[in-house]
Amino acid sequence: MSIFDIEIVLIAVVTAAACALPGVFLVLRRNAMISDAISHTVLLGIVLGFFLVQDLSSPWLIIGAAATGVLTVSLTSLLERTRLVKEDAATGLVFPALFSIAVILITRYAGNVHLDTDAVLVGEIAFAPFDRFILGGLDLGPRGLWVMGVILLVNLAFITLFYKELKISTFDAGLAAALGFAPGLIHYALMALVSITVVGAFDIVGSILVVALMVAPAITAYLLTDRLAVMLALSVAIGALSALLGYALAVLLDASIAGSMAAAAGILFGLVLLFAPERGLLAAARRRRLQRWEFAQTMLAIHLMNHEDSPQGDVENRVDHLHEHLRWDPDFTERVLQRAENHAWVARRPSGRLELTEEGRRHAKKVVTT
Amino acid sequence: MNVSSLITMLFTDYTLRTVALGAAVLGIVSGALGSFALLRRQSLLGDAISHAALPGVVLAFLLTRSKAPLVLVAGAMIAGWLATLLFMAIIRSTRIKEDSALAFVLSTFFGLGLALLTFTQRLPDSRQAGLEHFLFGQAAALMVEDVLTMSLLGGLALILLGVFWKEFKLLSFDRDFGASLGFPMAALDVLLTTLLVTAIVIGLQAVGVVLMSALIIAPAAAARQWTDRLGVMTALSALFGALSGLSGALISSLVPGFSTGPTVVLCASALVLFSLLLAPNRGLIWNGLRQRRSRLKLQAPESSVLKISTGLPGPAGGEAQGGGYEHL
Amino acid sequence: MQVKPTTAVEVNDLTVAYRDQAVLWDVDLTIPEGSLTAIVGPNGAGKSTLLKTILGLLKPAAGHVLIYGKPYTQQRRLVGYVPQRGSVDWDFPTTVEDVVMMGLYGRLGWIRRPGRRERKLALKALEKVGMLEYAGRQISQLSGGQQQRVFLARALAQDARIYFMDEPFQGVDATTERAIVALLHGLRQSGKTVVVVHHDLQTVPEYFDRVTLLNVQCIASGPVAEVFNEENLRRTYGGRIAFFHQPGFSANGKGGELPVPAGVPAVPAAAGENGRNGR
Repeated sequence: MSIFDIEIVLIAVVTAAACALPGVFLVLRRNAMISDAISHTVLLGIVLGFFLVQDLSSPWLIIGAAATGVLTVSLTSLLERTRLVKEDAATGLVFPALFSIAVILITRYAGNVHLDTDAVLVGEIAFAPFDRFILGGLDLGPRGLWVMGVILLVNLAFITLFYKELKISTFDAGLAAALGFAPGLIHYALMALVSITVVGAFDIVGSILVVALMVAPAITAYLLTDRLAVMLALSVAIGALSALLGYALAVLLDASIAGSMAAAAGILFGLVLLFAPERGLLAAARRRRLQRWEFAQTMLAIHLMNHEDSPQGDVENRVDHLHEHLRWDPDFTERVLQRAENHAWVARRPSGRLELTEEGRRHAKKVVTT
Repeated sequence: MNVSSLITMLFTDYTLRTVALGAAVLGIVSGALGSFALLRRQSLLGDAISHAALPGVVLAFLLTRSKAPLVLVAGAMIAGWLATLLFMAIIRSTRIKEDSALAFVLSTFFGLGLALLTFTQRLPDSRQAGLEHFLFGQAAALMVEDVLTMSLLGGLALILLGVFWKEFKLLSFDRDFGASLGFPMAALDVLLTTLLVTAIVIGLQAVGVVLMSALIIAPAAAARQWTDRLGVMTALSALFGALSGLSGALISSLVPGFSTGPTVVLCASALVLFSLLLAPNRGLIWNGLRQRRSRLKLQAPESSVLKISTGLPGPAGGEAQGGGYEHL
Repeated sequence: MQVKPTTAVEVNDLTVAYRDQAVLWDVDLTIPEGSLTAIVGPNGAGKSTLLKTILGLLKPAAGHVLIYGKPYTQQRRLVGYVPQRGSVDWDFPTTVEDVVMMGLYGRLGWIRRPGRRERKLALKALEKVGMLEYAGRQISQLSGGQQQRVFLARALAQDARIYFMDEPFQGVDATTERAIVALLHGLRQSGKTVVVVHHDLQTVPEYFDRVTLLNVQCIASGPVAEVFNEENLRRTYGGRIAFFHQPGFSANGKGGELPVPAGVPAVPAAAGENGRNGR
């Protein structure tokens, strides 16, 4: 493992962490697709900025691009407010238009520069170590690492400073406004952060991977915890893990690093989706299977309770008629009966009639009065 | 180049003719099916499906080493459908919401597609050249067999759309009512979504995965501004789609430095902007003028308050409003 | 000679679950033909769920429903449905006439398009709800009351024997409400059965002759005079209900068509229930 490998992995991990943080809020605020929109439109900001300053490494590019990200959000919002198109259509109209302008500007006027459309999508993290940050004649390491490191710190600082405001405005915008937290301002600040992160990560991992790194670790963490702070920490950890695994995969298969990282993030989500305790699919299926028997026995108890005093009780509360009325499979009915008897909720009389025990009645009453 | 020489070229130049035909076909199909996608709030789903198609295309090539249009389209369709199924599974079985599920599916499938693409590009097989055009599209590369495949599949989709027209209308407007009548709404949903996927994948070669969804949405959004009838909207949307496709494809074939995808999207977006501003009844400029006129008339205080607070027209008996909404 | 009234709707032991949570437990009820029944209960009581399960939109965990003695799937032609107004997007590009014709789609079956005959039937239905002149109007231009009338017209076009309606009075103006009540009474007069999920307790005695009190379980079901009393209401609403006792004074002070026994309290909407226009 060479120094280049280490540097690449470091950059990848820092990038993933920087993306995971705002990603959590995008997911919770149901605004995940805006990351897709912004990741496309920042290109326009970069291109226009480049035309102005003619320098690809100028900080103006980042500022301009971040501004374009925010512009995207406001244009989309403006369009939606005309009530002529719905919210999802507004998003789907604004960013492709802006992105198309950018692509055409590039291919027409900037084709001979490093900005080429494939890089836009994929970035090229493999080249990142070659782009050094030179200050006063000293080689301080890859520029990408510095840029993403600063962005990570900015994101971290923002989230720490405004944790309370972010939390409240995410879960209860009305309350936030009533408390004077200006949820609109927080929304745009978050969008600005997302834009800056996208621009920074752009050069390294390309626009689509930014979306994957923002969303995948966050939704994975969402399946594992209910607490915001834990979700943030977990997302960063999962993002970092995706970066590591992705790089390993890329080396193994000689494939694109960015693509492999996205794939790794996807795989991690898939694993958690299946195996998460409580929220995972397997756990849910197991729980449902158990509940099905519980449910059926409760249904039985309630049914017996409702009919025991009525004249139909003699007819309905019998083993043979049970499955007719409830429309249950006779086999299933028998098994439910046995379980209910084991619970001492139901007693089977020799006449074939079913009786609810005191325990059974208590249980049934408890269920229906909640 | 002036218009008359352009038109002559259209009829004489074989390549240009093929390109124009292909673009028109995909424009019509995506416009028509885009109407329903727009009304069913599936704009972003379309975006996800089109991005997700990339790994399908590349894998289809890797497995068959063929770039036959039917092969690539099949791969795209399977991948697009898998993405839709995964999306639905996620939102049905977890607490993850639709936007996050879409963003996830979109980015991971697309990332996988890019990884596969770069892997393929490193193969010594020269046939892989041209696969990267599926990113932003290249109408100029359309061959007759491509256009034939597009027309066949697209035509089939349009026929099915026409045949089940009232069922799809019912599905899009009031699904529960349709179910109560006895129509199998779930199956119809699957069918309509399949038609949408078809419309998307036949356009991928010309417009590219990144921007195809805009061609599904934009013509429909533009058409919506001009009419209140579903049938007219669909037809108009098909027309706008064809116009955008044609102009985009032609410009991109004839002028250097214009990829097809972005050019088509810009034409479609221009149509949308034009429609939003100038369509009678709904158009913003129209409404602006009407507002100035009506401000001079006396309006009942309650009905104004009603309009401002709810955006709905006043109760029955009020003057029939021309536009769908009062401009807030 | 008294003939036993036919049972239009029979619900047996119906239990419906939604995402592992039971919404309805073991519901039994019968609705005789030619009656006008209200289904009331607190929010989350399962009223809409009951309706949807009867119509086959949801699958029960246990129990079954019979329409005139047969399963619903065999009797669709006899049933008309008015869903909640808020369940559709009224910005959909379609006209009033078009929506009403959808009521005839079931009769047309697959693929066949509505023609002149269907249009005539639709216009007739629109006339019955007083919306004939709005036939060509885009539905987004309608007020709440007008939208409700259109939904009703659509159900009328179905020409059913039983009508199920989900909160048809929600958010409509007073004129429309009176018109809808008159329509419902007219339907009952002609021997139709009408079942309405209703949100306003105050108007139950005045509008309906039968009522079903629902709160996950069927608390009580029968003629309003017998069933709609303080004790049952308390059992349904769990005590979260206020009563104003005004003996000898019928609900709302309006003499309703339906007999209201003296001493039945005027019951305002229960605490926790959304008001007339809330949702």
